[in-house]
Formats: sequence, structure tokens, C-alpha cells
Amino acid sequence: MTKKLKKQLLAGGALVLGVGILALLAWLLYLDRIVTAQFEGRRWTLPAQVYAEPLELYVGQALGADTLEQELRRLGYTRVEAAPKSPGTYRRRGERIDLVTRRFAFWDGTQEPQALSVAMSRNAIVRLQDPQGADVPIFRLDPLLIGSIFPIHGEDRIVVTPEEVPDLLPAALKVVEDRKFDTHHGVNFAAILRAAWVNLRAGQIEQGGSTLTQQLVRSYFLDNRRTFGRKIEEAIMAMLLELHFEKQDLMNAYINEIFLGQDGQRAIHGFGLASQFYFGKPLAELQLHEIATLVAIVRGPSYYDPRRRPERVQARRDLILKLMNEHGLIDAGQMRVALARPLGVVDIDKQGGGYYPAFLDLVRRTLRRDYREEDLTEAGLKIFSTLNPLVQSRAETVLKQELERLDKSRKRKDAHLEGVVVVTTPQNGEVIAMVGGRETNFAGFNRALDAKRSIGSLVKPVIYLAAIESGRFHPASIVDDAPVEVKLDNGQIWRPQNISKELYGPVPLVRALAQSLNLATVNLGLQVGLPDVTREFKALGLDREPPQLPSVLLGALDVSPLEVAQIYNAFANGGFNTQLRAVRAVVDAEGKPLKSFALEVTPVADPDAVYQVNRMMVEVMERGTGAGARAYLPPGLVVAGKSGTSSDYRDSWFAGFSGSHLAVVWIGYDDNAPTGLTGSSGSLAVWARLMASIGTTPWNAPLPEGLKETWIEYPTGFGAKPGCADELALVAVPVTVELPTKPGCESGVIDSFKEWWQRFTGSEQ
Amino acid sequence: MNKTGLPILIIAATLAACTVPQPYEPPAPAPAPAPTPGGTPVETQPAPPPPPIDEPTPLPPPVVREPTLGAASRALVSQAQAQAAAQNFAMAAASIERALRIEPDNPLLWIELGKVRQAEGNYQQAENMGRKAASMAVNAPKTQAAAWELVAESLRAQGKNVEAQEAQIRADQMGR
Repeated sequence: MTKKLKKQLLAGGALVLGVGILALLAWLLYLDRIVTAQFEGRRWTLPAQVYAEPLELYVGQALGADTLEQELRRLGYTRVEAAPKSPGTYRRRGERIDLVTRRFAFWDGTQEPQALSVAMSRNAIVRLQDPQGADVPIFRLDPLLIGSIFPIHGEDRIVVTPEEVPDLLPAALKVVEDRKFDTHHGVNFAAILRAAWVNLRAGQIEQGGSTLTQQLVRSYFLDNRRTFGRKIEEAIMAMLLELHFEKQDLMNAYINEIFLGQDGQRAIHGFGLASQFYFGKPLAELQLHEIATLVAIVRGPSYYDPRRRPERVQARRDLILKLMNEHGLIDAGQMRVALARPLGVVDIDKQGGGYYPAFLDLVRRTLRRDYREEDLTEAGLKIFSTLNPLVQSRAETVLKQELERLDKSRKRKDAHLEGVVVVTTPQNGEVIAMVGGRETNFAGFNRALDAKRSIGSLVKPVIYLAAIESGRFHPASIVDDAPVEVKLDNGQIWRPQNISKELYGPVPLVRALAQSLNLATVNLGLQVGLPDVTREFKALGLDREPPQLPSVLLGALDVSPLEVAQIYNAFANGGFNTQLRAVRAVVDAEGKPLKSFALEVTPVADPDAVYQVNRMMVEVMERGTGAGARAYLPPGLVVAGKSGTSSDYRDSWFAGFSGSHLAVVWIGYDDNAPTGLTGSSGSLAVWARLMASIGTTPWNAPLPEGLKETWIEYPTGFGAKPGCADELALVAVPVTVELPTKPGCESGVIDSFKEWWQRFTGSEQ
Repeated sequence: MNKTGLPILIIAATLAACTVPQPYEPPAPAPAPAPTPGGTPVETQPAPPPPPIDEPTPLPPPVVREPTLGAASRALVSQAQAQAAAQNFAMAAASIERALRIEPDNPLLWIELGKVRQAEGNYQQAENMGRKAASMAVNAPKTQAAAWELVAESLRAQGKNVEAQEAQIRADQMGR
């Protein structure tokens, strides 16, 4: 009986054991499948990387030595004292900067590293040469990485190849994290026991016994729960990985995989991105003390956060440097130099990956038309954008300062004013800066794209263009600033008013626009006809035709700041429309060009008519609602623009352009409450201060051959001559136009004056 | 008359700078005239004599200013021409766009970009680039002629023969 029982027990046990072994085998096979399949594919999700526009160097470029150095530092170039030899270094001697550029794969070709010598004088490049002294006509620097498109709560990383990894990094990782890495089979049992002993004595976890392979497995396949079962699974998977792959592959995977920091919703993975995130430069260019800092962070990116806990990180960095010395990776001299260095972590605002949420949002929306969300967040695309970091940072600063100033003078204390800035280069339609709110680091509601607000008098130039294109008006034509009544479809009578509540009587178009007279404009718009006016908006680039309502003539039209920029861009571009762009090109992970957003232009308005309106918008700045800008602008900088104020002062707008830049500014409350600000008292100062600080060129479009310049008396529009009227304005009108002359101004005062002047100065021409 | 002397002086000095059609300059107040030797006050100068004729003097013929390319643009344009010759039109256009960022107002570059579009068969854009160049090439008859030539060719390629003829006439008039 006992024998039988024994037998049965034995058989049962064997059965259980057999099943158990089979189950274990199946589980091992399952784990093996996971490990090999996922690891061999080695498909990290690679968020698309977005680059700013590259800085072009050429003789004549308006760039001083200070600005160039600032740009190089922003790109993470290291200043050296001897002649620079390795890519990413520069030397400055007074107004001269010698540098070695980095290799960079642009979408239209790869640029190899190049030694350059740049001589500057009076804020311009005067010589650009290679080391042999040959002139280099033009060279572009590697562009600034401005961000990535990653899933919400997602991982962001820059994958590096083994060649891009400094040798000291894997060596230091082994010394600090896993000294037996080269020989163990995935798990280091001795280390686990030692760690257990240390932790037991200390009563807390002081040492981890995990190998690099285990850490990789944990990060790659498992979640963060630390149960006993997980530990077993982790150990087995680590051993399986080691069975299948070379140490070198595992090390490279570790370097690209490991978690090294958190930036808002963005998880910083891999040393490639960590190097940019903490030091603002590529991994290959890191110096010893910086490598040691990153190795220090591995142990716990939130506990060892170099921005929040610099002293803690520095202590661990120094410990690591000493370990590296003990194990012969570096000599004592190198160690002492590195120990003496500060952490050198860049400011989160100044680092390359600084946020431009509004702009990146525009990039993302542009690309979403052509790519699936997964392609953007996973496929490793490189996106070449149009952002100009210098203009962007000026726009952010100016807007913030002005909003703070204006907030102080508001009665309202429960809410802050918000603002938007959009800057373009009109001729090619590139959006070079975009600020979507005062919290530039907060990726929330994108006002620049989504806040459709009433634009007030910003509609006026469009109406005046429609009027001049009709052939019935020119800038000296008279329009009546007199009461107007319009019967609306609903039977109500609409009686618009001027902001000043006054009536100005017959005025020339140029004055009606400069002073933003509502009644004159409504009368003009009704004479031109609503269909022609609303059609003009569509022609200039608005994606929809506004309703044919009289109130549109006073700006009862909800348009986003970016759409305003699109409309005004057509004025600045001389009557040609160019779809505003934030992206120049996209290449795939291998660098193959996928798509380029080529420059296209379409004639949308008569260039002569546009020129006449633009000249009137210059008068807005000279003597009208934009005159306040003069206080900020350098003398001689000719600009054209228009203010806009919506009803009850809810929205303060200013849109205008120079020869090389167009900027649109909006200020208001998010809840659409009145601000008490007009376009002139709110947005104008932001606009003018921005324009004054970005090295823009004067508006100087040549007078078209079909037009002539002529003096008029500004208040009345009569033809006049200098000397016979008090207030004169110079307008451009078609050559065929003969103006009625102001009484007393008929004859050639100028000619006789010329003679007089010549006698007076004693010069004969 | 004495009182009007100074304002006339200032405005006339400004006007003198504005009689020739050329890039717009602000009608800002001209610098005040230098004090006359001997400290004679301006007010004592003789007033202008009465105007002898009523006709304004005809404007002098416009100054011809043909645009030229800067060194950086020249390098980029020759790079673009090589790229276009190798049928690499996207790259060629990218090179010209780089030059346009440096000299956005130079009609020669718009003509070059139009030629790239023409070579790849995008005649609509070639025509538009030509029109843009023509609108910028004020007082530059050679450049105007080249721009209208591009417009005419692009229109012909689109089968718009009547418009092409008109553009060709403009090109020929300018080219003379």
C-alpha cells in the first residue's frame, strides 16, 4: 500500500514536474521570442526632429561678432583658445571668429565639416575664407534643433550610432554601473548578493545589483513594478538577450534607450537627447566632466536632476570622476581638471530643445495633411522648418514685457492680458516666428491659429485696395466722412460712428485710411460694392469669403492672427500671394528627401493698386494711427501698417511690414472681455519694439512706371505744392490722374523756388 | 513771404529728392540748411520771383538701374544651374530659394527660379515668377525684357497664345 502510494506520488510528481518543465520551456520560448523579435527589429519610436532655419554666412550678411558668437553658443559650439581643430569648436579674436563647422545632412545635400574664418566689422561680415585663404561665397551653419514631435506623455530621443559615442561614455558606464559587463551572461549573481548584503545592513536600498543588460531589459520590455516575479523575468530576459546579441550591440542599445530626465510631458531617453537637453550640444562633443554628469544622472534622473539638485549631482559626478581615475580610464591630471569644472548645464530656456509650442504646433498641423500621426511621432523624420530663433526670442521678450506693462494699468486683476505675435518674411511667405501667448513654454490653446477674433480696422486696406482696383479711386480721391445709414436684412438700421464720434466731411482716401475714419470707409465700401470687397479678402489669401454684410466694412469679421498675416503678406509681397509656410522640407530617417514645400507665388492683385495702398499705409505710420511707432523705430526705417480695434475695445491689433519683415500682433483677453485698448495703445508698441530689434530693412519698393508721386493737401486732397499748403502728403497716383489744384497753388512755385534756391546756395546744376 | 521762406526751403529740399521715380524715401523733414556764411539770417534772402510759366518742368528720364547679383547669390545661382542641368529641379529651386532669402527684391533671382520651374514643366509657376520679376524690375528694361520673355514662353507652353503674344510684345519693346 505504501509502496503503491509512493509510486503514485512519484508518478504524480513526475507529471507535475514534466508539465512544469514544459510550461517553463514554453515561457522561456515566449520570452525569447519577445526579446529577439523586438530587439532585432530595434525599432525605437523616433519622434520627428524639427530644425530651425540655418544661419547663412556670406560677405555682407548683417551679423556682428557678438551675434555670431551667441549663435554658435546656442548651437553648443565650444570656445577654444588655440586654432579650432575639431567640429563644433570656435575661437574668437576681437571681430574675427575662426570655427570648424559640424557635418550636417541638409535635405538638399550633406555638408562636410569645414574650417572657416569669419571677419566682421560694424555688425556685418566683411570676409569669409577657408584656411587656405580662399574666399568662400556662402556657407550655412548646422541648424538648431528646436524640438521634436512626440506623443503626449511620450518618449523623446535622438538615436546615436556607436561612432557618435565618445569612448569614455561606455567605459564610465561599466565602471559605475556594471564592472563585469564584458564577461557576465546577463546577470551578475555576485553583485546581487553583495548589494543585498549592503542593503540589508543599511536597512535601505543603497546599491543595485542590476547589470546594464538588466537595466536595458527593464526599460525596454517591462514596466517599473518591482515584484519578485518581475525580477526573475528580468533576469531571464537579460540572459536570453546575452545569448543572442553581442556586447557592443547591447551597449549601444542601452545608450539609446535609458531614461535620463523628464521635461514636462516629454520623457528624455538616451544619451543623445540627454546631451542636447542638459548641455545643448551633440554627444560626440561632450567633455569629460559632462560625460561624468550624464553617467551620474543614470542612477535616478529625478533624484539626480542637475537643474534642481546641482550640488547633489556634482557630488556624484565627482565620485564618478574619481572612480574613472581609480580604474585607469583617465589620469590624475584629467581628473583634477574635470573636478574643477562647474556642472555647465544649460538653462532650460536657452537649450537647443527650448520649446516653441505655437510654432511647433503649426509645423505639426502642416505635416498632418501629408503624414499620419504615427509617422511624425515614430518614424524618425527630420523636418527643416523656417523658424528664426533670434526673431522668435525677441518676439517672446517684447510681448511679455508689454503685456506686463499693460496689465498693470488695467482695472481688471482677475485675468491677464494675452497676446500673439506672428512674423513672416513676406517675399517667400515663411513664418519665422510665432508666439501663441504670454506663457511661451506652455503648449496650450494656440491663439495664433485658433483664436478667431474680430479684426476691426485691419479690414480697411482691403477695402481701399478693392476701391483702387475698381479704377474709380486713387489715394487723393475724395470720399465723404458723413453719417451713413444702412438698412440691414433684418430690418434694423445700422448707423456706424467714428471712434472720435466726430465727422470729418470730404477727405482724401489717404487721410481716411491714416486716421482710420469709419464713416468715410463705410461710404467708400458701399460705393465700391460689398461683393467686390468680400471677394478681395478671398483673393488676398483668406480661405473663405466673408459674408456680404455692411458690418464687414468695419471689421466685424473673425480672423486668426495667422490669417491676418496671410492677408497682409499679399500687400507686403506687392500683390502676390504665397501660402505661408513653416516647413521647407522633410527627410526620412535615412536622410532621403520626402517632401519639399517649394516657394510658389500667385498674382492676386494689381501691383500698381497694391503700391498705392502700401504708400497710404506708410502715411498711417507717418501721421496716422501708427505714428506712435516712431518713438521706437530707428530714423529712416520706412514701414507700412494698420491698427485695428474691435468694438468695445475687445481686441487690439496691429499689422504692418518693412522691406524684409511682416509682423502681426494681437492683444486681448481670452474671455473676450473689453480691454480698453485700441490697436495703437496696445499692440502697436509690441510691433514697433519688435521691428526695431530684428535688423529689418526699410520698405522701399520702387515706384511702378504707371504711377507718379504727387503732393496733396492732406486734409482736403487738393493738389498742392510745397509752400502753398500747411499740411502736405506725398501720394502715388496713376500717371494719368490730374488733380484739382488748391486755389493759390496753381503755378510752378517749385520751379521758381528752384531758381531761388540755386541762387541762394550759389550752386548751378 | 518772409515767413513762408523756411518751410518752402525744407519742403523743396525734400521734393528735390523725390522728383525722380526711385525707391521710396520717407518725406521726413529735410535737414535744416546750414547757416549762411556771415550769419545772414535766412529771412533776409530775396523772395522767389513770380513764376514765369505755368507748365511744370518735365520729369527727367528715369535713371536706368539694372539689378546685379551679389557674390553669395552668384555662387548659389551657378550651383542651381548645375543642379538643373542634372535634372535635379527640386535641389536647383532650393538653391535659388537660399539666394532669395538674401536678396528677396532681386528680380534676376525670380527669373532664375521661374526658369527652373519652366525646365521641369511647371509653366504656371514659371509664368507667375516672371510676372513677379517684371513687377520688381522698375527702370531696368533689360531685366523687364527677360521677365516678359519668361512670361511669354510660359504662356505659349500653356497654349495661351494670345496672352503670350502680348507678353512677347512687352518683352520686345523693353529689349529694344
